[in-house]
This record gives sequence, C-alpha cells and structure tokens, in this order.
Amino acid sequence: MQQVSLTWVGRIFSDYAGQILQGTWVTLYATLIGTILGILLGFLIGIIKSTPISKDDNILKKAGLRIAKAVCSIYVEVFRDTPMMVQAMVIYWGIRGFANISSIEGGILVIVLNTGAYMAETVRGGIQSVDPGQREGAAALGMGHLMTMFNVVLPQTFMNILPEVGNMFLTNLKMTSVLNVINTAELYFVAKTASSTTYRYFESYLVIAIVYFVLCFVFARLIDLLEKKLQGKADYELTAEPAETGEEERTDG
Amino acid sequence: MGKIVSATYDENMNYIKDGRIVPPVITVKHLVKNFGSHEVLRDLSFMVRPGEVVCVIGSSGSGKSTLLRCINLLETPTKGLIKYKDETKFSDEAGGSSWPVNKYRTKVGMVFQSFNLFNNMTVLQNCMVGTRKVLKKDKKTSYDLAMKYLTKVGMAPYINAKPAQLSGGQKQRVAIARALTMEPEVLLFDEPTSALDPEMVGEVLHVMEELAQEGLTMVIVTHEMAFARDVSTRTIFMDGGLIAEDDIPERLFTQPKNPRTREFLSRFLNSGQIQAAG
Repeated sequence: MQQVSLTWVGRIFSDYAGQILQGTWVTLYATLIGTILGILLGFLIGIIKSTPISKDDNILKKAGLRIAKAVCSIYVEVFRDTPMMVQAMVIYWGIRGFANISSIEGGILVIVLNTGAYMAETVRGGIQSVDPGQREGAAALGMGHLMTMFNVVLPQTFMNILPEVGNMFLTNLKMTSVLNVINTAELYFVAKTASSTTYRYFESYLVIAIVYFVLCFVFARLIDLLEKKLQGKADYELTAEPAETGEEERTDG
Repeated sequence: MGKIVSATYDENMNYIKDGRIVPPVITVKHLVKNFGSHEVLRDLSFMVRPGEVVCVIGSSGSGKSTLLRCINLLETPTKGLIKYKDETKFSDEAGGSSWPVNKYRTKVGMVFQSFNLFNNMTVLQNCMVGTRKVLKKDKKTSYDLAMKYLTKVGMAPYINAKPAQLSGGQKQRVAIARALTMEPEVLLFDEPTSALDPEMVGEVLHVMEELAQEGLTMVIVTHEMAFARDVSTRTIFMDGGLIAEDDIPERLFTQPKNPRTREFLSRFLNSGQIQAAG
C-alpha cells in the first residue's frame, strides 16, 4: 500500500511545472476555441431549426429549408446520444484515415461538434422564449425575418441563455480531459504521464484537480462579470430636465 | 372637453376636405377572416381617407383588433381585398398574400396594446432601428427624427433608459414615437391604453389627441368612449365581425340607429363615463 504524501504533491508540481503549464494552456486553448466555435455552430443550427417555412416561399427555398432542418436534426441527435470520448475516437481516427490532423485539432473539432449539438437545442429554446410581441413590433416597423432575428430576437436569446453558455464553458473545461484518448497533451494527459513515471497516482491527479478547480473557479467569476456587464446599468440618467408637464413625468425607475 | 377635430362628411360618410372627397389611403373590401371554423370578420368593407381619425368601438370579441391586424397584414385575411392608395396589398383572387409586406408596413404603422418595445435596446435605439435599418436613413437623420418624436411625446429625457425601467404610460409614449419616426401615412392603434393603469391612460390619450389635431391619419381601436366621441372624426361600431354602424361621433353617441349600438353605449352612458368626461 502506498502512503499518501503531500511532499509528492509539491514535487510533482515543481518537477512537472513545464508540462502542467503546457497542459493548462492546451486545456484553455481547446476549451475557448472549441466552445466559442461550438456556440456559433449552435446558433447557426438553432436559427435554421427555428426558421418558419411560409407557404409563400418558392419551392427551392422550401426544399432547401426542409433538407437543412433534417440534416440539423440528425446531427443534433447523433452527437447528443453518443459519449464524447467515443466521438473523439471515431472522429479523430476516422479523419486520420484520409487526412493528417494533429490530436489538438482533432480535439477542438470534437468539442466544437459536441458543443454545437447541445447549444443548438439551448438556442432554439432561447429563441422560442423571446416574447412573440417583440417580433410583431419588428414586423410592424417593416423588418424582415433575418433583420428581426439579428437586431431583436438573437440579442435577447443570448441574454436568456447566458447562464447556459457559462455552464457549457465549465463543462468543456473539464470535458477536455477525455481528449487524452486521442493523445491531446492537455492536463489529464500530463497527470497520466506523471503518474506512470512516478507511480504516484493520488498526488498526480490531485495536482491537476487543483488546477482544474482554479481554472473553473476563475472562469465562473469571469462569466458572472460578463453577465453583469451585458445586463447594463440598473439605473439610467435623464438627459435633460424633464419637460414641465406635471403628472406626465415620473422620475422613478 | 368638446370636439377637438372638426371634419366634414357627405351623406355616404365620405370625408370631405377642401370641398371634395379625398381619395382613400386604405381600402378594405369584403374582408373575411376565419380562425379555423370560427368566423371573426364577416364581409367587412370600409375606407380610410387621409386626415381622418377613425375610432373603432365594440365589445370584446367583435373583431376590432383582428380588423386592425388584417389591415397591416399581421394576420392574413381569409378573403377580401386590401388596398393601400392604388396598390393592392391583399386579394384572395390573386392567390393570397404574395405581396411584399415590409415596405407597406413602413407606410402603415402600428401601436400595440402591449407596447412591444425592443427589450434589448434603449429608448433611443428603439426609435432609431426602424429608420436606420428599414428606411436606410443615415445616423444623423435617424437621430434627429427620433429626438423630434420623442420630444413630441415628452420622452426625450429618457433616451438612455431601457423599456423595463419605464412605466406603462411611458412605454406606450415611446412606442408611439417609434411608430412616428417611420413617418407613416396611417397609424393604427390597437387598444393603446388597455394595458395601462388608470392614472397613466391620460398621458397616452393626450399624445394621441395632439396627433389628431396635427392631422395624422389614425385608426384607433379603443374602449375609451369619451376619447372616441371627442377626438374621432368618425366612429365605427363593430358587432359580431360586422360594421354595425359607421357615423360621425356626434350622431353615433347621441342618436345611434342600430339597436346593438344603443345597447352597447347604454352601458357606458349608465356608468357615467361619457358624461363625466364631457
């Protein structure tokens, strides 16, 4: 039986400092790029899936939309219904069969596709939760579907789903660990290497657990800050003296 | 308060301006609207001429709001004809709603019961998005238009506020300003004061009264009988998806011809709303 040793924790931190830093960088890099691109993909699919098919559209547009919607649905189902670790193996080795990609590229691709599938449903729900009156208001000003989406509906959707976006970042930060199966040199991979050399399993993994925790904790606070910033000021300033029209003017708010 | 807008009509309820009948800006002919098997509008025809202030009254479910929503094609009519000046905007004979509606809607503005201000924008942005994005006006022109109409409704000091930070009456005044920035030919109001606290109704009606005095063409669905009587040039009473009576308010409110109108108005006469405001 191996004794748990805190000195070993310190030793692994110092002996593997370079690899831990490198692994942290890869984890962050894969998470940021993967999640941001994944969210964009999720928005794209969410938008396609919530585009109404009007009976006035021409046959080409109708057919195109139907096919696009079907493709999106299949993609969402496949990626939500299989484990990310398995996706990583299938996609990475599948692509390696005919093209040369690095394990980090493969890893990011897996995160993008996985995040996209989950975000697609979140975005669709977010779009549906925007008050229909907002769209009517836009229609009454003569705004078309896309103009309404980009100016009115999607900014509100983004605010609605921001907590879920935060969740996605944290989930991905931790899920990058499964990319070790395709030899992406992220944090988990570093612990695996360290433990196989030192045979100090508890200490090796405790080290990266601490790093993961710090990363996630900082990330969560940054997301809180972003949310506050995007919500804007709770108060507003009057730009001039309100006109003297008595009861019409209220300055509370 | 007496009549605030004077208007002349001939015996067929055609609006007369400078001694002649003005060509209509909106023509509705034989309009029918079904929701499933439920017939909301049944063969309804009328015209709106520039300068008219038409108030549409009637009990809930009589089809007032549906009529308004059909005029700017937020609802697709089942049958009938809708024309803007000489342009057909809807005709069932030509196969339905195949006309581009967005340009038409810039000419026929709409103010909603629930305001429908864009929650993600400030008051100023709400009043600039239409002119900037739809009418493609430059920033300076859009800003000037927004400020002109926000000043008119008394909301200019609030340009940096978000809709959620305003009272109902303030929201509705901004919504009116937003519709006015498009400088529409006709402005439709769908029960603009029905969602407001009683104390805020006055500020909104006051703005609409000013617009009427300035000669803006308006079609107003309302439950404010005193307002309809004093501000409209013509009042339409709707009942069961039909126009039951269409007359100048001086006659419609004092000597209604249709027994349904009399019955409907008697409730307001009894409740004292009309006398109290008169």
